[in-house]
Amino acid sequence: MTSRSLTVNLKPTVLDGVVVAAVIAMSVLVAAVFYGNKANDDKLTAVVSVGNKVVDSLPLFEGESVHTYSNNGYTLQVSVTDHGVCVQESNCPTQDCVHTGIITRNGQSIVCLPAQIVIHLKGADLGAPDAVVG
Amino acid sequence: MDTYMSLTAYGKNAQTALTDASRKINELERMLSTTIPDSEVAKLNETLHFRVSDETAALLRTSLQYTQSTDGAFDMTIAPIVNAWGITTDAPRVPDENEIAFLLNYVGSTHVHLDGNTVTLDAGSAVDLGGIAKGYASDCVAKIFASSGIASGCISLGGNVYVCGNKPDGKAWSVAIQDPQSNNYAATVALSDAFAVTSGGYQRYFTAENGTVYQHIIDPKTGYPVQSDLMSVTIIADNGTMADAYSTALYVMGEKGAVDFWRANADSFDMVLITADGRLLYTPNLQNKISEPEGASYDFQVIDR
Repeated sequence: MTSRSLTVNLKPTVLDGVVVAAVIAMSVLVAAVFYGNKANDDKLTAVVSVGNKVVDSLPLFEGESVHTYSNNGYTLQVSVTDHGVCVQESNCPTQDCVHTGIITRNGQSIVCLPAQIVIHLKGADLGAPDAVVG
Repeated sequence: MDTYMSLTAYGKNAQTALTDASRKINELERMLSTTIPDSEVAKLNETLHFRVSDETAALLRTSLQYTQSTDGAFDMTIAPIVNAWGITTDAPRVPDENEIAFLLNYVGSTHVHLDGNTVTLDAGSAVDLGGIAKGYASDCVAKIFASSGIASGCISLGGNVYVCGNKPDGKAWSVAIQDPQSNNYAATVALSDAFAVTSGGYQRYFTAENGTVYQHIIDPKTGYPVQSDLMSVTIIADNGTMADAYSTALYVMGEKGAVDFWRANADSFDMVLITADGRLLYTPNLQNKISEPEGASYDFQVIDR
């Protein structure tokens, strides 16, 4: 039986340094995106789309309000408060939108497939119009 | 409504007001739609002689008044020609010259006879209140908001916008005008207690087999889709029905006709015209309310009185 010795060189190289620097840079970037979004959570906007068209932009920091959206023969009653948005009532057959309950965080959505209505929470766009004609 | 609608109200009576408003809009649709077979308008078109409700009779009279005041640029009796083109349907087509000439015989206010609530149409004629129904519905919602004590609200019935009071933070509502050539906004207008309606050929159209694009607004005088030097007309007024009728009529009239019409009626409405050659014209009252968005592609100009 023969034996062989295996020698491993553990001395760091320049390439290792580049990889470490890249990992650190990516960590900082991910943290910035994550915490940046968290900061946006202070002022959220519910963006309402019907079909593929954005029809409303509802700030969650202007007091309580109630909204009605109708499409495809279905009507959703949407309640907006300072901390979230929910579909209170809907005459759609699945009721998935109502059962989703209240959404409160940046990136969450309520989808009503029968009515083709999507409500999506995102960081506030303070320059967005309140209504669009045309 | 054959389109989406959104209603927003703030305050303690908001929910009741919105429920009442939704109910009223649905009631109007059941009454005025041409596609719901047992609506009053559908029955009138089918039987040519029908006793309608007070509300429908009043709206038919209002429509006739707008036909008169716009010299026929707005006309609810365009229905037979709109049906022939079918531009808003799944099966649009180009009628031949003879068909259009024939159908034009049935277009015009003289074919509608109102005696109290009893309406008679001449054989071959039909009415379509689609040109003012959404505007009228927004007037009704405004009344419901007022009677419910709503001080802040915003509604959009397929792009017919009414803003009630100011926003809850006290600022005017920001109403954007769609850019006919892109998904951006051509301008934004700060409005309070106002109705805003836009008409434009870009909203609905179809492309024929030979590549010709036909947009959905038909000139009641020619029976053909309007060949306008305007891309869109936005009317801002304190009356939704009028704003709806005038937005269509002034698009039909074209730039010169629209500006002349506004000069003759300047106290009753404001407007924003987007021309095909890249200008955005607005009336002087809007001077401190209109804003040019970043990267706007139009040359903003005030219309002289």
